[in-house]
Order: sequence, then C-alpha cells, then structure tokens
Amino acid sequence: MRKSLMTAAVLLGVALLAAFASDGQALISLEKCTLCHGKPEFRKLLVNGAIRDVFVTGDSLKGSVHEKKVCTDCHFDVSEIPHRERPKRVTCTHCHFKGNKEGAPQSDNVLAYFESAHGKAIAAGNVKAPLCQDCHGDHQILKVKNAGSKVSRGKVAETCGRCHMEIYARFKTSIHGVALEKGIPEAPSCTGCHGEHRIYAHTDPKSTVYPTKVSEQCSKCHASVAIMSKYGIEAEQVATYKESFHGVANQFGSRTVANCSSCHGVHDIRPPEDPLSMVNARNIPATCGKASCHPGATANFAVGKIHVDPKKKEAGIIYWTATFFKYLTIGTMLALIVHIFLDMYGRTRRLRGEQGR
Amino acid sequence: MPEKDRKDPVTGHIEKEVENALTEGLPELPPEEAEALKEKVRRRVREEMAKEAARLAREQRTREKKRQDEEMGEKEEKFERFNRNFRFQHMVLFSSVILLVLTGMPLKFPDFVLSRFLIALWGGIQNSTIVHRIAAGMLIYFMVHHFIYTILTRDGRRDFLLMIPGLQDAKDIRKNIRNFLGKSPDKPSFGRFSYIEKFDYWAVYWGCVIMIGSGLFLWFETEVMRFLPKYAVDMAHEMHSDEALLATLAIVIWHFYNVHFNPDRFPGTLLWWHGQLTEHEMKEEHPLEYEEIMSRRGKESPEVADR
Repeated sequence: MRKSLMTAAVLLGVALLAAFASDGQALISLEKCTLCHGKPEFRKLLVNGAIRDVFVTGDSLKGSVHEKKVCTDCHFDVSEIPHRERPKRVTCTHCHFKGNKEGAPQSDNVLAYFESAHGKAIAAGNVKAPLCQDCHGDHQILKVKNAGSKVSRGKVAETCGRCHMEIYARFKTSIHGVALEKGIPEAPSCTGCHGEHRIYAHTDPKSTVYPTKVSEQCSKCHASVAIMSKYGIEAEQVATYKESFHGVANQFGSRTVANCSSCHGVHDIRPPEDPLSMVNARNIPATCGKASCHPGATANFAVGKIHVDPKKKEAGIIYWTATFFKYLTIGTMLALIVHIFLDMYGRTRRLRGEQGR
Repeated sequence: MPEKDRKDPVTGHIEKEVENALTEGLPELPPEEAEALKEKVRRRVREEMAKEAARLAREQRTREKKRQDEEMGEKEEKFERFNRNFRFQHMVLFSSVILLVLTGMPLKFPDFVLSRFLIALWGGIQNSTIVHRIAAGMLIYFMVHHFIYTILTRDGRRDFLLMIPGLQDAKDIRKNIRNFLGKSPDKPSFGRFSYIEKFDYWAVYWGCVIMIGSGLFLWFETEVMRFLPKYAVDMAHEMHSDEALLATLAIVIWHFYNVHFNPDRFPGTLLWWHGQLTEHEMKEEHPLEYEEIMSRRGKESPEVADR
C-alpha cells in the first residue's frame, strides 16, 4: 500500500516537473525574444526607406495551429540573442515531413507545390515568389475550414490578390467575385479553378485552365443541374459547347478554337445582361471579332441563341431542320435497306428454284 | 485409248527401271517373298503414276477452258457505258467524298474510337480542316464540271434527259418488288438508267446542293453573317451535319451494295475504270438500251452497205 502510494507520488512529481520545465523553457524563450520584439516602436528601417515591422508579442501565436510552439521552433537558426543576422525565411518542411516526431500534419501538397508555377519560380531564384507562409500566413496560421484563415474560401482571393493585384480587382467585380462576397457556398474563388498547390501557368498542359481543359473545369459546376438550378442558370451550356464545332475542335486538341473563357472572359466573367459582359449582345461583335477568331464579326453574331441545342424545340428553325433531316434519313435508309433485303430475298428464291429444277 | 498409247513409253520405261532396281536390291530374299514385295511396289508405282496423269489432264482442261473463255470474252462486243469524261467526273467525286467523310465524320462523332486517329492522321484538327476544304473544292469543281458537261456535250444532254424520273420508274419498282417476292416471274426491263441508278444520280445532286450550300455558309460564316443572322449559320451547320450522315449511309449501304456486295458484282466491278459493259451484261441489265442500239444499227447498216 505504502509502496504504491510512493510510486504514485513519484510519478506525479516527475510529471509536474516535466510540465513546469517545458513551460518554463517556453516562457523564457518568448520573454527573451519579446524583450526587443515586444516593443511596438521596435522597427527596422531599410536602406530604401521602407520600414519593416518586427513587432511580436506573446499573443502572436495565440489561437493559431502553432499555439504551442515557440519562436525558435520555427526560427531555429537564431542561436544567440540578440541575433546578428536577419533570420532566414522559415522552412515549414522542418516539421511538416512524412513521419515527423512533432506530429505535424503532412501531405504531398508540399511536393505538388515544388512542381507548381510558384515552386518553380522559387527554385529559379525569384525572391518574390510565394513560400508556404506567404499564403497560409506567418504567425496566425489557421485551419482552412476556419473562416479567418488566409486560405479560407472567403479570403483566399484576397491572399492571392496581394501579388496578383490587377486580376484580383477584375475578379472582385465579376459574377464569381460578387457571389463569393455574398457568401454563396458554391461560388468559386481563385483556387476553385486554378487548384491549390498544383497551380500551373495557363500555358502549361498540366494546368487545370489549359485551353483544352477549361471546359472541363467550368463544367464541374456549370454542368451540374443541382447547383445551377438554384441560381436559375442553364446547365446545358457545357453540353451544347461540346457538341459545337468549337467544343469538338477543342476536344481534338485545338488551342486556337474558342473555349468557355475565350468568349465569357477569364477573371471578369459577368452575366450576359451586364453591359460590361463580353457576351452581352452589344459586345458580341467585338468578342467574336477578335483578330484571331472571326475578324469583321457583325451584330448578326448575336441574333439567335449561341448555346443552341437542335434537339430542343426552343431552337426554332434549327430544331425543325434537325427534325426534317432525322425523318428524311430514317425514311430513306429504311426504304433502301428494305429494297436491298428484298433483292437478296429474290436472289435466294431464284437460286433455290433453279436448284429444284 | 489414244491417251494411254501416248503415255505408254514413259510408263514402260519407269516400270522397267523399278523392275531392275528391285531385282538388284533383293538378291538374298526367298523368291516368294521377293515376288510379293515386287508386286507391292509395282502396284504402288502404278497408282502414283495414274494419279499424276489425272492431275496433268485436269490442268490441261482448265487451261484450255480459260483460253476459250478469254477468246469468247474478247470476241464478245463491249459497250461503252461511261465515256472518259464521265469516268473522270466520278473519280473526282469519289476521291473528294472519301476525303470529306474521313475528315468530317470525326467531327460529328468525336467520341467514336477511330475519330481521334482519323484526325491525328492529318496531324491534328488544324490540318484536317484544311484537307476538308481542299476536298470541298474538289466537290465544287466536280459540280461545275458536271453542269458544263450536261449543257455542252451531247452525251451529257442525252443522259440528263434519260435521268429524269417518270411513271415508268414507279411501274418498274412495283414490278421489281413483285418479282423479288415471287409474285411474278418477269423482271422489269430497264433502259439506259434503271430507277436505282436514277435514285443514285439525284441523291448525289441533292447531296451536293445541300452540302456545298451549307458548307459554304460555314466556310465563310463571317461574310454570311454580314447579311444573315446567326441562326441561319446554325441551320446550315445542322443541315451539313445531318445530310453528311444521310449521304454517307446511302453510299456505304445502298451504293456499295449495288456495285460491290450484290452477288452479281462481288467483290466489285471495274466499270468505273474502263467504263465498259459486255454484251451479256448489257442484255441482262439494260435490255431496252441494248435493243435500241441494235435497232439503230439495223437502220444504219443498209446505208453502210449502200456505200
């Protein structure tokens, strides 16, 4: 009895000590850093006159996924205080690798990133290209599902926009940007079309927005009746495109033929009623009449439905043409095939008759 | 038995040789056994020789028959059905149609297994559309050529008039179908063009008008849409696509049956190349035309004799 009590006490003591020790270390480390970095007026004036804010307090990591970490867990190249050189940029793969002991979540996304346009730019020595922390945030990293995260659905466009400013401005006023702002759950942000870690230049065949893949990308949402019916948008646009010459040629690998974004725009997609829309009836001559497409296009390009389905009665005269040819083909071929079979039947009869004689 | 007489010296010679070989080869066997063995060998040799003789005779007969047939064929009068000009038109037409189908159908059926291959054959869609337009140019040329041929040549004018369908064709169809079904023993006797050929001709006419017309709309869509709304071009697109299918099916099923796969013709005829029909074919397929030619000759020949 006494023995077991003793063991329990010892165990408890060891556990407490360990807890204190680690807590103490963390506090010490933080305190050491915040001695300087904790002062709001502690800034660095750069050669070009810009000011770099290096203000960090004990609360900087609070609430983030790295809440339990301390400064030197990431800034591990700081070994003396005050540090003489500017610490290197943080390398997330220090912890986030397969089989790490910290238990840091790891996926192949980091490998995909190195293949992507951003990763390649980094490898090529472009210092402005983004590393993990440029999108995911530095001290306040939150899970993607958390609305406050820099890479959450609602905020990712803004994050991308820090570098891709003009595109962001165009996107923000487009129908997708507006819908995203309104909080429509299906509205796509940058990553909806471009992918997340696997972002490639649109001229790269691997890209999700490569000319021959655009329609596939748009069809993820725009071919879904479940999604489109909610907002009163037709879901057959993708199917009619694929049956059109544009769609077929695109499928056979033509990169010059129109895909969805050639006519509807890329980041500035707007509903056709919008006078700024590329597919507004008044803008269609300009849209179709691009130098590499149909130069000299007139207003007649807008007379008649563009995404027309000849199998539907709404197509009007096109439907009637298709119907006429359908019955003409069936009727003619039926008559011809019947004649062929009768001919063969007659020949067979004659042969049998001759044999009988 | 002249055959036997002719062969005897050889047979005798071989038999003597066999006999000698046998006597030389079997000295130490008892005479009865040796005799039995000899008899066996003799029989076998005779059998083989008889077989060989029969084979030679068969070959000789087939050779002679073939030669006779050829002589007959050469003697049989040939009638020129299609003149050189018309054959050339047909060659332009079918070359262009084959190219048009090969480059056009993949666009109508992009998911068909061969479509990707057929487009890749030309090095991609950019090139296959150019080939399609070249072939379209050939078809347009054919159409213009045929128009001029119809108007300016005597054969063209005569054939065009004979191509016009009439009441007789309806009667022929009825008669032919009754014959197929065994309800009447007599077959319709056709003139220069049977209703089948008339159908082919007018089908090509209709097809060319629709395909060239709608094809030009699609080729020059920007120019067309200067005057017509977009739905006119969409309509042309629909017509082009649907009529293409109808024409292809009609050619592949109907025309191919009539010129390639029907038992009289299988596996095809070289009529499109030499343009000639034999007297037998003439009597069989175009009896009225044959009679007409013969009666015309009958009228002409006295004049010839008078000269």
